Amino acid sequence: MGFKYGRLGAKPTAGALIGRTILVLILLTFTVMTIYPILWLIQSSLKTTQEFQMNRIGLPIEPTLSNYPLAWKIGGFTSLFLNSILYTSISTIAIVFLSLSASFAFAKIRMRATKFLYQSFVVGILLTLQSIMVPLFLLTNMVGLYDTRIGILIPYIGLGLPMGVYLGTEFIRSIPDSLIESARLEGAGYIRIFISIIFPISVPVAVTLAIMTVTSIWNEFMLINILASKNSIKSLPVGILKFSGALSSDYGKQFAALVIGMLPMLIFYLIFRKHIQRGLAAGAVKG
Amino acid sequence: MKRFVLVLMVLAMVAPLFAVGEKEVSGKVTLRVLHYADATTPGYSVEKKIWDDFRAANPDIELVYEELFNEPFHQKVEAYAAAGKLPDVMYMWPSGRSSTLYNKKLIKDLSPLLASTKGKYLPTTVVPQMGSIIGELPLTITNSHMVYLNTKLLAQLGLSEPKTYADLVAMVPVAKAAGIEVVLMAAKDDWVMQSCLFSMISGRVAGDKFIDDVLAGKAKFTDKPFVDALTVVANMVKDGVMPKNVLQISYGEGPALFAAGKCLMYIDGDWRAGAFITDPTTGKALISPTDQKNVKLTVFPAIPGEKISGSSSTIVGTGFGMNANIKSGSKEEAAAWKLISYMTSPAVAKQRLETGAFGRASWIGVTSDKLEPIQQANAAFSAAAGSYVLDGVLDAKVYTPINIGLQEIVLGIKTPAQVAADTQKAFEDWKANK
Amino acid sequence: MKSHTRPDERLRAYFLLVLPAVTIYFAVIAFPTIFSITLSLTDYSGGIVFGDRADWSFVGFKHYFRMFRDQYFWIAFKNNIWIMLMSLFIQIPLGFTLAYTIFRKLIVGREFFQTIIYMPTIISCIVVAVLWQTFFSPYGPITDFMRLFNPLWENNLANDPNLAILPVLFVMVWYYTGMYLIIFLANLQKIDSQILEAAQIDGANERQMLFNIILPALSGVVVVTAILAISGSLKSFDLIFAMTSGNPARRTSVLALYMYDNAFKGSPDYPLANAISTFMVAVSFALILVTKKLENRFGGKE
Repeated sequence: MGFKYGRLGAKPTAGALIGRTILVLILLTFTVMTIYPILWLIQSSLKTTQEFQMNRIGLPIEPTLSNYPLAWKIGGFTSLFLNSILYTSISTIAIVFLSLSASFAFAKIRMRATKFLYQSFVVGILLTLQSIMVPLFLLTNMVGLYDTRIGILIPYIGLGLPMGVYLGTEFIRSIPDSLIESARLEGAGYIRIFISIIFPISVPVAVTLAIMTVTSIWNEFMLINILASKNSIKSLPVGILKFSGALSSDYGKQFAALVIGMLPMLIFYLIFRKHIQRGLAAGAVKG
Repeated sequence: MKRFVLVLMVLAMVAPLFAVGEKEVSGKVTLRVLHYADATTPGYSVEKKIWDDFRAANPDIELVYEELFNEPFHQKVEAYAAAGKLPDVMYMWPSGRSSTLYNKKLIKDLSPLLASTKGKYLPTTVVPQMGSIIGELPLTITNSHMVYLNTKLLAQLGLSEPKTYADLVAMVPVAKAAGIEVVLMAAKDDWVMQSCLFSMISGRVAGDKFIDDVLAGKAKFTDKPFVDALTVVANMVKDGVMPKNVLQISYGEGPALFAAGKCLMYIDGDWRAGAFITDPTTGKALISPTDQKNVKLTVFPAIPGEKISGSSSTIVGTGFGMNANIKSGSKEEAAAWKLISYMTSPAVAKQRLETGAFGRASWIGVTSDKLEPIQQANAAFSAAAGSYVLDGVLDAKVYTPINIGLQEIVLGIKTPAQVAADTQKAFEDWKANK
Repeated sequence: MKSHTRPDERLRAYFLLVLPAVTIYFAVIAFPTIFSITLSLTDYSGGIVFGDRADWSFVGFKHYFRMFRDQYFWIAFKNNIWIMLMSLFIQIPLGFTLAYTIFRKLIVGREFFQTIIYMPTIISCIVVAVLWQTFFSPYGPITDFMRLFNPLWENNLANDPNLAILPVLFVMVWYYTGMYLIIFLANLQKIDSQILEAAQIDGANERQMLFNIILPALSGVVVVTAILAISGSLKSFDLIFAMTSGNPARRTSVLALYMYDNAFKGSPDYPLANAISTFMVAVSFALILVTKKLENRFGGKE
């Protein structure tokens, strides 16, 4: 941007100064409230359960890393970790791809069915997972996909689609029709247009969708807990949950498990954070 | 276009790979097992060993083992029950949380199989459970109410062990002056106060017979005995014996507060003794074995108007039950019974006892000299009498208003009479819908 | 694929593009939803659903009446409304203000704050819950801190049934404001910088630019965030489930939790649970229609 918005250099009035101070205070509060829990979690994971119970806030007096190997071993995290990566990556790719392809059709190919189909996806945003959990479980059993990886992946994909289709359609609608028309004139089919024109343009919304999906599936525990029974197909949150029951008293390992679960997301977020804000609303909303 | 089709084809080919189920091994009996285990307790390694020992001793029995803990376990059981996919052997409650299994007759009555074990189990443990069957073989008998008394702190404040409720009230000013509470509970979750305190009060003031009468329609929750029992809780708050703040203490925080000397008496279940002992993975204890001698395990002092004294609320413990679909006399039944009775055997009970998170074994005479003082006290403890744990005898629809109502009484937003009325109404609704 | 006017190519392409998403969506979400609405009108209580041995029959709106008679339903619903009002009138304005601050470069360290504010969403609710329980505990640091000023201070934050929801709302502001900030920020950055530049040269002050240029340009975004806020607050579950489980005495419960308690705790009451979830969807649907209507009536003026 060539234009300088800079207000910092301008001479502020007293009122503006107060306003700015309040804003900075709010931002600092947010900062503390965000960084502190993460630091607290990490320091707590270095305490034994017994130390944590007696000293919940202070720094660890005898810091120990022993919680990590114990949590990893007791929780059986190796396979849980691999499963989490599998579920998160496959669902994310599928959600992004399927959402955008349907979005393209909804936004740019005139069909009478679109109105109904698109509306039904939008209604899906309003539904809660809890309300479909029981029917979903019965259904999964009926079709014989219970306790299989595919039986977990399909619901994950389905649950991500409403938001994906909504964001995708709104975004693709803002792409000028002329772009598609000229490609049509050159004889390109819709599928080809989708792959070589629409998809590249939609990268911001795809990235946003990917980030939202990755964080939500990585942390998801309700559905997988219902749909999986074999340990070999469960995911990380199920392992973490083992350490955080109402009657549980083993805080040390619970916190170590939580750190193990959070770190990949933290790294992922810090790498991709620039894309988030570019994408999250890029087309989400017609400004 | 081609690439798109290619991706679809690859997906279609890869998909079945994920769907391959487990193959049955022929020549063996395969049992599907669902266990309730907390991977975080110090005793978890022992639990693992118990199962491994069974596998090693029974190569002809193949276990398809699944383990869950807390709410996820219950959700899973409900889901299994709804889908008709219950495991062959499962961890169960004698009622309450396992109501579905009893109500829908999804589990087998173990009484015929128990005939051969006469005299081996404590007679109070092999009693009919919900629906008048023995659905599960209890591992323990549990006191859901226990008072952990800090005798050292009492002595420091110049107090002696309270014998009556009036003694407790008299302790309030002394305790407040020292900046501590007389009674604390970790009652943030609503079941705690009902299970660990009120069931005992109800048993002493109203009595089990009264509850039976209510269930039979011969009495009402709104009658005086039940309202009087609720009033005891209201008075505890009013008299300053127990602060309102107990509702803000999460269950995990309770033992630490007691260990830190924040109260003279801590009320919880007998299972909580296990929270104080040495954790073998870290070698640390919340209360060291030497200091554990300053903790006395007892029950609530005498309550004005009580009909029995020195009682706790007791419930036969959890145990393993068998799927009703297993045919009598089949080799599956023999294998399942082998597993169920193995779990209550003295050798297994002893190992569990040594973890500390275990009350009194259902098998007669199981003890261990390896226990820390607080565990020995727990194994040796016996209340003068036992009364119903309310969530064990009432349906969830009926005990939920009690759970919530007790919190409302503590907060001071409902009177005991109002809570009794809510409970009676919920009971009538439940009965009408049944 | 030769002629772009052939309708069957269009139809085939549409079909191919839409089919996978639609199939999965209907199998995973639409069908179970219809199923759940149907169950809310029956007396199903676990057991066999289909076939001859099916174990249920229709009972009409009985469960809805049961729901409306239950005082705890209304307590939960009231809390949902509080959450919704908080989202609409605190989170959205706050998210906008912070986004505006960053956009107009009114403060230093913008990138840093931007990163921080969206970060809570990656922290597991479980961490948030344990941390806040620890802080708000009567034996926690907040009590200790207050007693530095007033040694007799009692931590009664959650003991007043009408105020018990406040700490939860406070945590929610922190946990979810980032999302609104990001949406506003992205849309602010789409405003044509030349318009702002021209206005500034014409001598417009900060306030005039805000009210005459920026806010009108964002009216559509406000509607979308409002819709997100409404549906999000009616759905809210995870954080409250982990923080309070609805206690004390259900005074911090919400509809989704109330439903969960009925479906998965004790003896499950599926029909009631499904009636609750149907009610939730209906309410958020109605509120969103109202929002859209308001947009059409007032938003169009700009």
